[in-house]
Amino acid sequence: MGFAEYLSSLDPQALLQRLPGYAAQGVLWGVMALGVYITFRLLDLADLTVDGTFATGGACTVMLILAGWPAWAALTAAVAAGLLAGLVTGLLHTRLGIPAILAGILTQFALYSVNLRIMGMTANKSVSVDQYPLLLSSRQIPRAALIGVLLAAALTALLCWYFGTEQGSALRATGSNPAMSRAQGVNIDAMKVLGLMLSNGAVALSGGLTAQYQGFADVNMGRGAIVIGLAAVVIGEVLCAALFRRGAPFAVRLLFVAAGGVAYYLVVGLVLWLRLNTNDLKLFTAVIVALFLAVPQLQARRKSSFRAADRKEAQPRA
Amino acid sequence: MKKLCCILLALALALPLCACGRSQSSASGAEAGAQTAPASASGAASQSASAGKSYVIGICQLVQHAALDAATKGFKDAVTAALGDAVTFEENNAGGDSASCATICSGFVSDGVDLILANATPSLQAAAAATDSIPVLGTAITEYGVALGLTDFSGTVGTNVSGTSDLAPLDQQAAMFAELLPDAKTVGILYCSAEPNSVYQADEVQKALEQSGVTVKIYTFADSNDVSSVTATACGECDALYIPTDNTAASCAETINNVALPAGVPIIAGEEGICKGCGIATLSIDYYELGRTTGEMAVRILRDGAKVSEMPVEYYADPVREYNADLCRQLNITVPDGYTAIAD
Repeated sequence: MGFAEYLSSLDPQALLQRLPGYAAQGVLWGVMALGVYITFRLLDLADLTVDGTFATGGACTVMLILAGWPAWAALTAAVAAGLLAGLVTGLLHTRLGIPAILAGILTQFALYSVNLRIMGMTANKSVSVDQYPLLLSSRQIPRAALIGVLLAAALTALLCWYFGTEQGSALRATGSNPAMSRAQGVNIDAMKVLGLMLSNGAVALSGGLTAQYQGFADVNMGRGAIVIGLAAVVIGEVLCAALFRRGAPFAVRLLFVAAGGVAYYLVVGLVLWLRLNTNDLKLFTAVIVALFLAVPQLQARRKSSFRAADRKEAQPRA
Repeated sequence: MKKLCCILLALALALPLCACGRSQSSASGAEAGAQTAPASASGAASQSASAGKSYVIGICQLVQHAALDAATKGFKDAVTAALGDAVTFEENNAGGDSASCATICSGFVSDGVDLILANATPSLQAAAAATDSIPVLGTAITEYGVALGLTDFSGTVGTNVSGTSDLAPLDQQAAMFAELLPDAKTVGILYCSAEPNSVYQADEVQKALEQSGVTVKIYTFADSNDVSSVTATACGECDALYIPTDNTAASCAETINNVALPAGVPIIAGEEGICKGCGIATLSIDYYELGRTTGEMAVRILRDGAKVSEMPVEYYADPVREYNADLCRQLNITVPDGYTAIAD
């Protein structure tokens, strides 16, 4: 097919129509990005547990809904399961001295078997919106998007409030400068465990919501979730920094992190809409995300004071 | 300037949510440039065709894989043969990621395609969740009841979902053990724990084998990394192995063979691809033909106005007994009549 033909076959109308679906899915992953933000940015820990916790949240939610629980109760139980997973990683890291990355990998590994057991030794459980009262579903995209936005906003508000309290500030201090925080009397081990628990709780919530949205939970649904979460966090930060040169309030930054999830899924949707070979979907998505990530680095280089000094010298003096 | 950028960006991010107002029912063909037929949300399946209508079919394939590719090709060939230029296909591959299935299917639904082909179980589940009005045909799905969580599945799903199943009769497969390996007293069933279809097949084959007096043990591996150690354990404890239609096992067939052949343990496989790699015999179905059957069902729905809710799931009609000549010779297995050798 010629290039001109290809261009003319792309239908912007179709892309616009698909956007609500992508936005709805993106906002659910935005909830996950908020969780990743806590460990990645605030605590400066690389937490790979999220690949497993995402599926745990989905598995718990689906199995409880199938057992007759109301959806909100199932989600609460999923969050509790996420908190437990975070606790395990935290204890492995602080009590047993295992480096954070490895502790996360170990928990994620173990969660594979745990998730299989939760789902009754099957890899996949479906929950149909026709038979069970789900909170949201891809059948009704506007409602799903609305519920996603409300939950993301509620979580942002909760985190904003929490990180302003004494304990929350201690958590941020731990991530910023552990040695100094310990000198000030903060129990940094406890703070790390707490941060990991909160993060994985948010990720499990996102997993539960996604499982309801797509109508099934799969033991591999979390595979690659950390990549998406980190991409969403960084995209959100880049967008925020681009708009607020002099720094934005914490609440706004968190909102942008959640919006980063939407941006990521818009990128995926764009790649699908461009009808590029879908086997290359992951490659193209990675390229576009890498461009986003490179922007702050390139901007910083352009604005670097050494460069500015060079430019000034090269100009003739007035 | 900054404020302007801010406002524009906020509008851009909010735009997707504004487009929500235009729900599926009003995404009619009246929109300029859209070439899709209306997908009304009132529950009526696609209308009976009139001459000169054009159709858009969305194909969601879970992963690039020889069997799934063959099913898609068979589907496209059958539909093109009947409808010619009147049909356009939108093919998308989820790259093995079930979340992408949901993205792809919601994209099809907002486009208002006339039919969705869901290739493999997560695609079917995502499509069934995304729409209850657009006909969804599944292919390369082993058991619809298990995939959709239906408690008393009688062969017809009854909603907008139907399709074809790649399940070759499991009792006939279990009977092959008696035919080819009458001395095998302990049989191990090997499959990947992450495959949703394998558990169902393993359970059924276990029931059939235990009825004929054979002891059955189950061995699962999580992914291609532990397949050789699990296979080695299985070979140490069993006289023969059975592998269902498992995508991961199909991609690791060589590894399994490298363990089982030196151990002298014969394997009966659930489909031809696995049999070529490590099995001695299989009850084979042809995925291309399965795709063609699905294509014919699609033509009946689109052109002839058949109701998808009344179409029962179709199974492959004539599975062929095949054997792997090379491995049978190496393991000294005599193959009775009625088996065809697998062509290389």
